[in-house]
Amino acid sequence: MANSTLTKKINLYGWLFVIPAALFIFVLNFYPMISAFMLSLQSGRGNNLKFAGLKNYARLFQDEMFLTSVGNVLTYLAIQVPIMLLLALVLASMLNDPKLRFKGLFRTFIFLPCATSLVSAALIFKTFFSIDGIANISLMALHIISEPKSWLTDPFWAKAIIILTITWRWTGYNTVFYLAGLQTIDRSIYEAARIDGASASRQFFHITIPLLKPVILLTTIMSTNGTLQLFDEVKNITNGGPGIATLSISQYIYNLSFMYNPQFGYAAAVSYAILVMVAILSLIQMKVGNRK
Amino acid sequence: MKKTICVAMVLLLLTSSLVFAAGKAETAPAVTDPNAPVTLTVWCWDPMFNIYAMNEAGKIYKADHPNVTVEVVETPWADLQQKLITSLSANATSNLPDIILMQDNAIQKNVVNYPEAYVALNGKIDLSQFAQFKVDVGTVDGKNYGVPFDNGATGTFLRSDIIEKAGLKVSDFTDITWERFIELGKIVKQKTGVAMISTVANEPDFPMLMLQSAGTWMFDENGKAYIKDNTVLKEALKITKEMVESGVCVLVQDWNAYIATLNNGTVASTINGCWIVGSISAEPSQSGKWAVTNTPRFANIASSVNYSSQGGSGWMVMANSKHPDVAIDFLAKTFGGSVELYETILPTSGAIATWLPAAKSPVYSKPIEYFGGQKIYEDLVGYAGKVPNVKYGIYNYEARDAIARALSEVMQGANIDSALATAQKNVEFLMSE
Amino acid sequence: MKQRTVSSIGKYVFLSIVCLFSVFPFYFIIVASTNLSVDIIKGRMFFGNHLFENIKTLVSTVKLGNAFWNSLRNSIVGTIASLFVCSLAGYGFQIYRDKGKNTLMGLLLLSMMVPFAAIMVPLFRMFSQARLLDTTAGFILPTISTAFLIFFFRQSSESFPLETVHAARVDGLGEFGIFFRIYVPIMAPTFAAAAIVTFMAAWNNYLWPLIIMQSQESQTMPLLITGLTAGYTTDYGILMLSVTITTLPTLILFFTQQKRFVEGVLGSVK
Repeated sequence: MANSTLTKKINLYGWLFVIPAALFIFVLNFYPMISAFMLSLQSGRGNNLKFAGLKNYARLFQDEMFLTSVGNVLTYLAIQVPIMLLLALVLASMLNDPKLRFKGLFRTFIFLPCATSLVSAALIFKTFFSIDGIANISLMALHIISEPKSWLTDPFWAKAIIILTITWRWTGYNTVFYLAGLQTIDRSIYEAARIDGASASRQFFHITIPLLKPVILLTTIMSTNGTLQLFDEVKNITNGGPGIATLSISQYIYNLSFMYNPQFGYAAAVSYAILVMVAILSLIQMKVGNRK
Repeated sequence: MKKTICVAMVLLLLTSSLVFAAGKAETAPAVTDPNAPVTLTVWCWDPMFNIYAMNEAGKIYKADHPNVTVEVVETPWADLQQKLITSLSANATSNLPDIILMQDNAIQKNVVNYPEAYVALNGKIDLSQFAQFKVDVGTVDGKNYGVPFDNGATGTFLRSDIIEKAGLKVSDFTDITWERFIELGKIVKQKTGVAMISTVANEPDFPMLMLQSAGTWMFDENGKAYIKDNTVLKEALKITKEMVESGVCVLVQDWNAYIATLNNGTVASTINGCWIVGSISAEPSQSGKWAVTNTPRFANIASSVNYSSQGGSGWMVMANSKHPDVAIDFLAKTFGGSVELYETILPTSGAIATWLPAAKSPVYSKPIEYFGGQKIYEDLVGYAGKVPNVKYGIYNYEARDAIARALSEVMQGANIDSALATAQKNVEFLMSE
Repeated sequence: MKQRTVSSIGKYVFLSIVCLFSVFPFYFIIVASTNLSVDIIKGRMFFGNHLFENIKTLVSTVKLGNAFWNSLRNSIVGTIASLFVCSLAGYGFQIYRDKGKNTLMGLLLLSMMVPFAAIMVPLFRMFSQARLLDTTAGFILPTISTAFLIFFFRQSSESFPLETVHAARVDGLGEFGIFFRIYVPIMAPTFAAAAIVTFMAAWNNYLWPLIIMQSQESQTMPLLITGLTAGYTTDYGILMLSVTITTLPTLILFFTQQKRFVEGVLGSVK
């Protein structure tokens, strides 16, 4: 009898712990989300919104700018995320070596870029790659190019520089996650493999990666999520240009809301498109992750 | 246990009181005493031009109305638009200023989308003395919303010393065509090594300027997108591309870099609205070395003239203002009524009046030392009178972006017709609901 | 023997190159802070002696102290509030684990997939109706509770033994008492790691502050930086100086706390 009232009391407390945080998310995240969904069913300019059903969603498929921005973001995703995560894995496994000297120093320097704000990172790289920036000066000094190249006004290179900036900024973050994960792996497994004659790369691919699967999955989903919602870097380095070669979906939403004739209903539909893509990709990644 | 709950609550209260206490204090309700201190907040950009002009206007008004202080908050145009729309869309206008500066090509869009946000000025300010085309730009459905400010009349601003080195004179650049301009630019580059002109890459400034010089725009009289069949636009893109490819025009990546090319002597000229005078004049070592003449026109387009407009803006009074009458009176007495204001701001900033009484002032016929003694303001006012009038419409920004993209694609080698067809499709898409 | 030396030299070279690449931009912004804008544009890569001049210009051009204080206050208050709310939740989700809570956790995780762009305008409307525009509360409320942090604390709490909880109950400690008196001290590394990540995120936040800030007085450092680039001409010296100043607090935080940080992340990954 006393036990069940105690259990009841404990249960109550259990919920008390959880409710404030949950409430915040419901009010400040889910509610606006639902409100945005309502908005996406309306169309019109400014505050003149009328009900339009799913028309906005149908419009998405005819919207060349939207489709281009999706293409851009998927390009970033396909190139940047694998490179960054692979690099982070390699770095983490190197840093995990007990015989490595200056470990603390390396680790600090690698994580350092995460201390910058995205705006700062964007500005730094924009300055580097400007016409009279360091990149051109160094490349000319090394005789790799003969005259200054306008990196940011070239559709291909503009994308490349954005990818470079993101990689610079986030690799350290993922490295720390992998490093932590690696430290849970027993040294003896590696020892046994070494005695069996396995090379470092064999060990890497057949021991490290499989054992780190859950962490790799986590970082992949986080990176996918972040890349699909990319805004700060694109806005501050190229502003979507040249033309719309680097436009991200979030930036398109921003333009639809604040730069053109405001179409908040349609902008809301575009943002739901991001949500759907993130959800689908995350599901696929989880399925793949759980299968192997 | 109780104790720990208490501690937790206190912590939470402390945190939240810190949080809420740091918020802004409630502003006192507006008083009706005419002599009570009034602060008019103004959002605008460009310290050398608009901000300078507004501060001077504030000084002049304060002389007769010591209780009124004009406070300018420097707000870049892109930020201003975004803040404005964010606040208006959420019906949260308490933080908006009393007066804003609005680019001419955005006035229609903003008024049509948020008509209650702005104060209609009919009958409150005498706008009859302003150049008609500027008043039209700020009129929607017969109501006036903008107090016209500066003229965007364009000119070709030349480094007379550099073109002289190439064996050319200012008159060689007068009343010419774009094709001739490119030829001359090649000569200058060849003889002096200096590029003729610069522009921000992926910005459609040149095509816009060229369109207006031919009296057309990206929309026809019915408001439909007029892009892919627009022969003037095609020609404009062709010429811009040729300018860049021939080396006559240097592309820079943003506005700062553009201003730097002027101040550092990287280019021998610029073609832009007359408000560029303020930025040109910021470099003391170039004093005496500049000159102005009119804008090139198209060779093959009959309606094209040697005059155009770029930019230009007007002041608008916000409906959320606590002192709309003071704001209106301020604008009426300064930008709409003070010859002294225009005389003050003209020499240093190049702000050319669209208020006709001011344009008759002798200040306009003073020789300007920075421009080698040329009476540039007389000339520029003359140009302003010949600028073809166009209706910008409300989808200007969508169209601008689309043309910018088309231009960038054409620079990369795309076919002009297909680039414009894409642009038309995009604009029509954004125009549809 | 030889192979191992070669491969380990290779490792050091690779790591050094990566570190160089990571650190070079910091060298650049610090050096640029000491030079004049004209020199930076020309590509000067060495220390100059214009640091004080740049500081003076920066301070007279913008309200630096004000922006710094705003950033600091918002970040600290936001971090404390965040740690408080999310640690309680993470603890609750783990220690009082049941089906209902698992479902709730899954639901909350969905919120991580919501792009901020989607909720930014509805959020703005809500905050303006609640008269929270331009207030500290306005800046930090949307970021106080994040599914990521809750998840982090939940995962980390897996290593907190339930026997301790039971024993403490027997000793007469209340539920909250257990949390504050026993859990918090033991899980200090977790809190440290969470504090670092949260502080960094709050300090560098850009888009939401951009929208909710309405006056110069509430400007934060990232907004101050973009403000410096939006004028007609950019002074790169003071721009880079402001970037340096903005980066310093998070840099210092990480330098001094990195051991705890790795420990804390380790605790969540185990």
